[in-house]
Amino acid sequence: MITHQTPTPRKPERVVLLGARGFIGMAIRKELDARRIPFLPLASADINLAETSAVDKLAAALKATDAVVMLAALTPDRGRDVATLMKNLAMMQHTCAAIKKTGCAHMVYFSSDAVYDSAVSLVSEDTPASPQDLYGAMHYTREIMARSLAKVPPVLVLRPTLIYGLDDTHNSYGPNRFRRAAQKDGEITLFGGGEETRDHLHVDDLAALTVRCLLQRSTGILNAATGISHSYQDLAEIVARQFKNTVEIVKTPRANPVTHRHYDITDTIKAFPDIRFIRLEEGVARVHLEMLEKS
Amino acid sequence: MTKPVLGFAGMTHLGLVSGICAAEKGFKVICFDPDSTRVAPLTRGEIPVSEPGLPDLLARNKERLLFTQDSAMLSVCDVVYVAQDVPTDDQGRSDLRTVDATLEVAFNATRGDAIIVILSQVPPGFTRERQRPGRALHYQVETLIFGRAVERALNPERYIVGCADPAHPLPAAYAAFLGVHGCPILPMRFESAELAKISINMCLVASVSTANTLAELCEKIGADWSEIIPALRLDKRIGQYAYLAAGLGIAGGNLERDLATICNFADEHGSDAGVVRAWIANSRYRRDWTLRTLHRTVLSKLENPVVAVLGLAYKQDTHSTKNSPSLALLAHLAPVRVRVFDPVVPASAAPNPHCHAATSELDACEGADALAIMTPWAQFGKLDPAQIARKLRGRLVLDPYAVLKAATCRAAGLEYHTLGMKS
Repeated sequence: MITHQTPTPRKPERVVLLGARGFIGMAIRKELDARRIPFLPLASADINLAETSAVDKLAAALKATDAVVMLAALTPDRGRDVATLMKNLAMMQHTCAAIKKTGCAHMVYFSSDAVYDSAVSLVSEDTPASPQDLYGAMHYTREIMARSLAKVPPVLVLRPTLIYGLDDTHNSYGPNRFRRAAQKDGEITLFGGGEETRDHLHVDDLAALTVRCLLQRSTGILNAATGISHSYQDLAEIVARQFKNTVEIVKTPRANPVTHRHYDITDTIKAFPDIRFIRLEEGVARVHLEMLEKS
Repeated sequence: MTKPVLGFAGMTHLGLVSGICAAEKGFKVICFDPDSTRVAPLTRGEIPVSEPGLPDLLARNKERLLFTQDSAMLSVCDVVYVAQDVPTDDQGRSDLRTVDATLEVAFNATRGDAIIVILSQVPPGFTRERQRPGRALHYQVETLIFGRAVERALNPERYIVGCADPAHPLPAAYAAFLGVHGCPILPMRFESAELAKISINMCLVASVSTANTLAELCEKIGADWSEIIPALRLDKRIGQYAYLAAGLGIAGGNLERDLATICNFADEHGSDAGVVRAWIANSRYRRDWTLRTLHRTVLSKLENPVVAVLGLAYKQDTHSTKNSPSLALLAHLAPVRVRVFDPVVPASAAPNPHCHAATSELDACEGADALAIMTPWAQFGKLDPAQIARKLRGRLVLDPYAVLKAATCRAAGLEYHTLGMKS
């Protein structure tokens, strides 16, 4: 359950985005622009958070009245090993040290649903974190590092589900990979029969939710999900329907047991009773159109 | 043996109902409370709680009842019950200070041969710690059910009596009072009796949680929980009186207290309370069914919706709103305009800044986009869905307790949602 420190939405003086050139960072920038909220986008080219020198550089860039959104992380496609874990922890260590020096008015830490045990099918904010790999352990550790700053700024931890959108550079199993595969090869390959269910959130919804939390200086832990899960087979069919040509959906022998992930989004509804999410069919269609326009 | 004189110390819900019902059984009863704001209305025949049948009993037995704030009057009593309601906090923890204070008064104000019986709900270990040399002290399990308290007090299923040593017979005056009810009397050691009360409630919660878990599954897969219930009731291992109706979790405060007590004891003694914590989580989850359904059907679709809410009490036939699912819903609908009606609880109890106090059920429905029936008051079941449909602006009816008939609502053009059935 999150708490709004500012019951009536109020624009933050400035938002500092760390990891601003990533897929989610770009979407948040667009949302901040649309709402005319000033922001400072920082990427690794500006300040390399993994380096010790980042502490002073970031501290110099920050103001005590800023809201800091920490998105910067090396994602699993950049490595799942201990070295990647340590780099990610160093990035957070330096960020926390800089915030400790300068202070900030609000911090939003972008975590992941990887903090939950993949065997748990229905997840809420009350579900105990039980990361099963180094990536999940990294996020959970960074959450605790952020919360250890709690006496300085109010901290919100966002734990997003699987995110999709046109500009996603990752090619993980889901809408983005299915779309690319369908376009390139005319077929979508499923693990097994695609029985697993997952909750897919459009990146624009995640950006909008983030900005609403910034406007109300929300604190606590919030999962970012739609509350509706679909099987990968249903998802593949939705993606396939976007193409004029027939897209074949190929099933393969199952290598791993079926797992499901559903979200109980009651806490999100309590925090934002009027919140609405883009339906998966609508979101996939929107991304498809954007892809066509871009090409 | 002449009929013993009984005393009831603490004129809150439990003591009041128990005292008046004892008078109905033909006993002279001293009803004591140190608080004049409780005693004065009772002397005028005004009852502060809503319990069917209680006003009639009070009127019929006023010759045998004496309401007083003078503890010295307890000196005429042969048996004195300590019967204060025990308040709980948000975590279900009991505040036992009032019970202790009342027990102290009872020990001091009664004769040395008078029997003191703790009727208030106390945790295991409480009674034995409070024994006094030379004084007879017992603990008796109360099984008050809000809205059915009179019926339960007049015709108890059994008496569970906690004793220092259950091998000793009960004192004659106490046994005489219990005996007139014609039900089994089960003496046992203090700790067993104190835990027996909690055990009863744990079994009820287990049934409720099972029903709610399966009802939700019914909603997803197209089964109908109301069709399954009769099959379960005919199973002798489950029984016709089992708590099988789907609901919005546990409310009222008493069951929550017992859940908290078990978790605390298990933590302290290192026993497994995982299933109890799962019941608590399930209860919290099901309580928000209406909010989730409203969000899916109205809040995420309409700008500035209006929601009609019928019922504020945590259940029918009571004024109590402790842990009421309705109030929880209204708190989370704070930005939404709501129109509220309850036959007993005033709309001012609703924690919502945009609340309109409706004068009737249909007034609440006037112009609303959705109707949520949050307390299963019998009078709500008499509403005509066609009239509701005419009053509503939208079509949506959320009726978790199924006080209306699904088919009649759908025939009236309403979109009907209830627990345990796919909509």
